[in-house]
Amino acid sequence: MIDRVMDRRGFDNFDLRFLGLIFIILGIGVLSIYSVTHDQGGSGLPFYAKQLVWILLGTVAFLIMLVWDYHRIARLAYPAYAIILILLAVVLFEGKTSRGAQRWIPIGPFAFQPSEFAKLVLILVMAHYYSKAPRVGWLQRVVIPGALMLPGLLLILKQPDLGSGLSFMAVYAAMLLMVGMRSQALGVVLLFSLMLFPFAWEVMWGSLHDYQRQRVMAFVDPNYDPGGKGYHALQSRIAIGAGELTGKGLYGGTQSQLKFLPEGHTDFVFSVFAEEWGFIGVLILLLLFVALIWLSLEIASRAKDELGALLAVGVISMLCFCVVVNIGMTAGMFPIVGIPLPLMSYGGSATIMTMASLGLLLNVKRRRLSLFY
Amino acid sequence: MTGSPPRGRRYVVLLLLLCGFGIILFRLVTLQVLQAAELTAKADRQHQKSVTLEGARGTVTDRHGKVLAMNMEVPSVFGVPASLDSPARVARSLSPVLRVRRDEIEKKLRQDKHFVWLARKVEPEQGRRLEQLSLDGIGMVMEGRRYYPKGPLLAHVLGFVGMDGQGLEGLERRYEPQLHGEKRVTILQRDALGRTVFPKGLKEQVPSAGHALTLTVDEVIQYIAEKELEEAVSQARAKAGTIIVMEPQTGAILAMAVSPRFDPNAVAALTPDRWRNRALTDTYEPGSTMKVVVAAAALEEKVMMPGSMVFGENGRMTIANTTIHDHEKLGWMTFAQMIQKSSNIGAAKTGMLLGEQRLYRYLQAFGFGQRTEIDLPGEVSGLLKTPREWGRRSVASISMGQEIGVTPLQMVSALAAIANDGVLMKPYVVSEVRDQKGQPFKEVLPQVKRRVVSPETARTMTTILEGVVTNGTGTKAAIPGFRVAGKTGTAQKIDPRTGAYSATQFVGSFVGFVPAEAPRLAMIVIIDEPQGEAWGGTVAAPVFRRVGEQVLTYLGVSREDQVKIAMAARE
Repeated sequence: MIDRVMDRRGFDNFDLRFLGLIFIILGIGVLSIYSVTHDQGGSGLPFYAKQLVWILLGTVAFLIMLVWDYHRIARLAYPAYAIILILLAVVLFEGKTSRGAQRWIPIGPFAFQPSEFAKLVLILVMAHYYSKAPRVGWLQRVVIPGALMLPGLLLILKQPDLGSGLSFMAVYAAMLLMVGMRSQALGVVLLFSLMLFPFAWEVMWGSLHDYQRQRVMAFVDPNYDPGGKGYHALQSRIAIGAGELTGKGLYGGTQSQLKFLPEGHTDFVFSVFAEEWGFIGVLILLLLFVALIWLSLEIASRAKDELGALLAVGVISMLCFCVVVNIGMTAGMFPIVGIPLPLMSYGGSATIMTMASLGLLLNVKRRRLSLFY
Repeated sequence: MTGSPPRGRRYVVLLLLLCGFGIILFRLVTLQVLQAAELTAKADRQHQKSVTLEGARGTVTDRHGKVLAMNMEVPSVFGVPASLDSPARVARSLSPVLRVRRDEIEKKLRQDKHFVWLARKVEPEQGRRLEQLSLDGIGMVMEGRRYYPKGPLLAHVLGFVGMDGQGLEGLERRYEPQLHGEKRVTILQRDALGRTVFPKGLKEQVPSAGHALTLTVDEVIQYIAEKELEEAVSQARAKAGTIIVMEPQTGAILAMAVSPRFDPNAVAALTPDRWRNRALTDTYEPGSTMKVVVAAAALEEKVMMPGSMVFGENGRMTIANTTIHDHEKLGWMTFAQMIQKSSNIGAAKTGMLLGEQRLYRYLQAFGFGQRTEIDLPGEVSGLLKTPREWGRRSVASISMGQEIGVTPLQMVSALAAIANDGVLMKPYVVSEVRDQKGQPFKEVLPQVKRRVVSPETARTMTTILEGVVTNGTGTKAAIPGFRVAGKTGTAQKIDPRTGAYSATQFVGSFVGFVPAEAPRLAMIVIIDEPQGEAWGGTVAAPVFRRVGEQVLTYLGVSREDQVKIAMAARE
């Protein structure tokens, strides 16, 4: 077996661009968090300072995931998954409840959210599975990986954390698309899922919690608003629209600054940014995300083995899914499902997990030269 | 298997991603470019409210700086219905504190609004109790409330303000442009809880305060006048009463008392007839007091001399098929005696000697039939017909104070002109307007209206009027140690039902000045519809004496001084 070693030439141009993009987006995130929370009183560290701490921890996670050979990391996939499943189960019984959902394990003054880390672990599990298992027949292509994913998904949906659950399914779906299915099968699955959708909807609708149903209803008809979820969607839309072309400037976002828009520093940080920087700012931000994903795709396409490529695809699809769905929900295109905007929303678990994923991505890129040793 | 996934699949994934971003971009263009104006308007509606900030209203003080009207910062209570869990519970706790019915509060709190007033300008004590309750969704803001620390004192002159601090009556209304603070419309922001967020730098924008007024009125003299008037009105069981005290040389009003009184701090429950300033909004037929003007005119025109003999027709005279009566049968008497005994027949004869035109000219000169232009709102001009409208009896009637409507202020001004050597002054109540820093902004100087009679006529008239008090109808106005000049008046009121003179409704009055040789005060006392004894000499003259005595003492006008002045005058 060829020993794959780290590229020791230091960061090249590509790496620097990749890192630069990550930290620019992180910076924009901190700025927006600062803008919306800077005049909030209260004890303890302000949100933006805490977010800086998370970014620091995230950088550590990024380096850890970069330094270790990703093959070794992938070998830890199943044990890590087992640990995550235990933690998800612990959350259900011991977790901290917030806004009707039980997602957090308190650690001192902070709260640890296993469902965020579950996403990264799932990527590892899927990539590890597909790179090792022989892929013949439905069973090995679709059913076994599906069965692998299912306990995690169910535990997450039970919390309930619809957003993380959807991310889970997105990672699974992306992997299936990449390697799990033949072309004809892909068409059949798409057809079947369309046909089955009404039934699946019935089943899902029945399993949804009240507040989730309300969110969906509020999405379909913002005037239907028993719990104020439509208010949330409406305020977010107003905030984004009020940004107009050039934005209201830093601290100028009235909707977010005056608390009309709740959760301005977490899931709705994009609305805050959009109100203060306008369409031009939004365009630049989207370009930054697209550039980051573009570089990631380059990593995926140049990966020297299947594991690397699958890991990269997993990270990319998760990243894209979160960015698109988060912005989509703040812009009122999707129901509000509680997905943070990667690298921008306030939150320890999400920030650390996202940076760890990106570290894994760069890991894949930096091992490619070792083939020639 | 080969290293990377099939190429085609990569493009599918890429296409999906681009689709995702494309859809988002399309949506953001829609929101931020196409619907931008609409959504911005929505945002503005939510968070902007235009508020009129107003500087503090100017204070009103008496001539010695005693505060008569001021501002107090008091709490106003509002609710934010959206943030209330249980309007019923909140209403239950608020009701006893605000002293508003529970269901009323609850109805307001159930409105679909961001902000409702629950009670404006409540007592500070209520605010403290409310603070202790610390109810969510209930808040207070401080608002300036006009406060009249002396209660009813001078209320009819001061007037009062409305809920938003705008002057509605009296000086508050007349001097509204000077008193009100600068108004500035500011766009304030409010947050989702309806709390006002003050934009930074608002402090510098605080609008400047209104100007302060210094009055000619003396709080003590006003107090004396009001106290004596209240007592006299209640003793005579009269309907109303008025006292005006004026400085004859300047026209400055020292006191203006109207009964019944009211408290300008609590006008909500009152009707306009309680707060109108009868001293200048109401006219009455002056009766015999008008004889002063007729007599002065006759002396000035030299149709009469103090010693001229007038025949009293033994108390009955027929003019234009009607009969004029005197209250006693009078024969021959001097002109001076005629005034002192208040002979109607004598006055009628005097008027006829003057003739229509001259009588009318003098009535006008003394200020009847026109506003005195005092700086108070609501003044009426009284009722003085032109000679062309007069009937055959009019000259006689007017000469004895009928067929003419005057205000108490007109009458006291006319008498003050006699006291002021024949010069009519314009009455006024505000002596100085000061800006917010206390610097004089505008000083009001006494204003001469015109000379109405010569100094000699005025002095002669004074002597005659002294006789009214020493041995005429006004003896009860005499103040020991001082020389008082004045005239009584008793007028029948016209019964509004019959249009004829009433036998039971009178207006008793006394108008005069003191000390006669160097007048410090001109004063009119009017008792409207006294029950029982209704003569001006009986119901009004004693009030003149009581007020005059106390005011002279207060002003430090001593009897010895009077002697010295009299001696100096002789030398």
